[in-house]
Amino acid sequence: MLAVLKKEFKSYFLSPIGYVVIGIFLFVFSVFFYLTTILYGTVDLGSLYFYTALYGLIIIAPILTMRMFAEERKSGTEQLILTSPVSMIGVVFGKFLAAMGVIIITLLLSFMYFFIVQYFGKPNLSAVLVHMLGFVLVSGAAISIGMFASSITENQIIAGVITIAFLVMTLFLQDVNSVFANASIMNFYNNFSSGVISLKEVLGLISFTAMFIAFTIIVMQRRKLVK
Amino acid sequence: MIQVENVTKRYGSFTAVNNISFEIDEGEVVGFLGPNGAGKSTTMNMITGFIEPSEGKIIVDGYDISKKPKKAKRQIGYMPEGVPLYSDLTVKEFVTYMAELKGCESKTKKEKVQKVLEETGLVDVQNKLTKNLSRGYKQRVSMAGALVGDPKVIILDEPTVGLDPKQVTEIRTLIKKLGKNHTVILSSHILSEVSQICDKVIIINKGKIIAIDTPENLENKVVDENSIYVTVEDSEEKMSNIKDKLSQVKEIKLIAKNEDKTKKYIIIGEKNVDLRKDIFETFAKEGITIFEMKKADATLEDAFMKIIEDTQEETNKLNNKEEITKKEENENEKANKKEEK
Repeated sequence: MLAVLKKEFKSYFLSPIGYVVIGIFLFVFSVFFYLTTILYGTVDLGSLYFYTALYGLIIIAPILTMRMFAEERKSGTEQLILTSPVSMIGVVFGKFLAAMGVIIITLLLSFMYFFIVQYFGKPNLSAVLVHMLGFVLVSGAAISIGMFASSITENQIIAGVITIAFLVMTLFLQDVNSVFANASIMNFYNNFSSGVISLKEVLGLISFTAMFIAFTIIVMQRRKLVK
Repeated sequence: MIQVENVTKRYGSFTAVNNISFEIDEGEVVGFLGPNGAGKSTTMNMITGFIEPSEGKIIVDGYDISKKPKKAKRQIGYMPEGVPLYSDLTVKEFVTYMAELKGCESKTKKEKVQKVLEETGLVDVQNKLTKNLSRGYKQRVSMAGALVGDPKVIILDEPTVGLDPKQVTEIRTLIKKLGKNHTVILSSHILSEVSQICDKVIIINKGKIIAIDTPENLENKVVDENSIYVTVEDSEEKMSNIKDKLSQVKEIKLIAKNEDKTKKYIIIGEKNVDLRKDIFETFAKEGITIFEMKKADATLEDAFMKIIEDTQEETNKLNNKEEITKKEENENEKANKKEEK
């Protein structure tokens, strides 16, 4: 697993993807830093992380994940991984954690907003850490969806579109019928943005992520039967 | 080292590999031969555990590839068809990654990577991105990926496709060298290559094994017939009854009519008889002018073509028989119905 994790993480920064992702993320962060924190003149960073997760992930999750399995399948390098003595679980987790690595780098960089606010007032550090925890969990859920989308096709664009569609649809469809509210990952984020860790939300996001990781593993393991 | 037992692979109603069994001993260099779409790659993909057979089992070094994939895969170094590489890694990074995937310990990893780079002649380009390499070098990188970590079995899918003659000889020497302390399986449709490198040839066609033998034996199989090509000018149309005048000739077939009104024939004689003198004298007596006469040497190429044609004829015959019996049955039924009426 470590070998895959290391290589995938390095690959993000050997190609422009890693830098593009961090750039877009910081741009979205800055826009919402202006719209939420500065315009309202508050030291609370809760809505900053909430809106960045809400809108940022719709773009970021597909960029990070669309090539994960689709590209390997298309270029045939999948054959190298699947014939090496690494378990499928290891491969999937390696790739997942590499994408999470990029998210975590962005989050570390987002500490700068905390320091900017600290210059003018007294923001609550533990609240920010809770926001970040929620942000990591929500990102994990979004990435697991993207990863699953990437595992079912060899076309990166289709993988990306599926991910975007899922994230956007679950956001709006809950207005049509409340049934869809359960599918939206952002509904598990509300308490985090007020600085509260709720067990229901944490478990909800983790099980959501685990489910899609498991789906990905199943899809990839089934590949050798149907290919 | 490798046992393949009654393995079948189906895609829907299409059978890519049909109930094949063979065994490969340690240290053997084995070549898979077959026309395109014969099931060579499918078989290799099943041995490496990339795809799962629909039926049957494959055992590599004592481990069943479906049940203990990790242990079985550790014994195998695989170079897939079409040399897939990670385009954003350098040669050295790629080989290192392959070493890590195979679970090389970090202490010996560097050494092993360096050794393989030297073996495959990649030291000069080790810091180049794999996407910027020429086809020949890509092939070598892929091969280095297969070799790293000293696997016991090395499986190469069409290792010399798309290379220039110099690179081909280099790769062949490398494979020969590997054959000394590894079990090597390679696939190819270049027959001379297989006869040069391999101890054993497995010929596959339409998903079935049609021959397993040494290259020499396969060649001998076709040499049992002694053929001679002649190009003649036959203005008096005497070729049609010349066969009666040559005692040891089994068959005379017209192969081609040339533009200068000469005709090319193949004359097949009994085994171990040199017909050339006989032909020359008889033809001269009959007034047939020989323009060219050549003894046909059987090569592995011929063996290959012949074996494939033979099996095809057999299956055709079987199919025809089936059709005929079906027709007969239909007619019988019709007759019965009429009688009933």
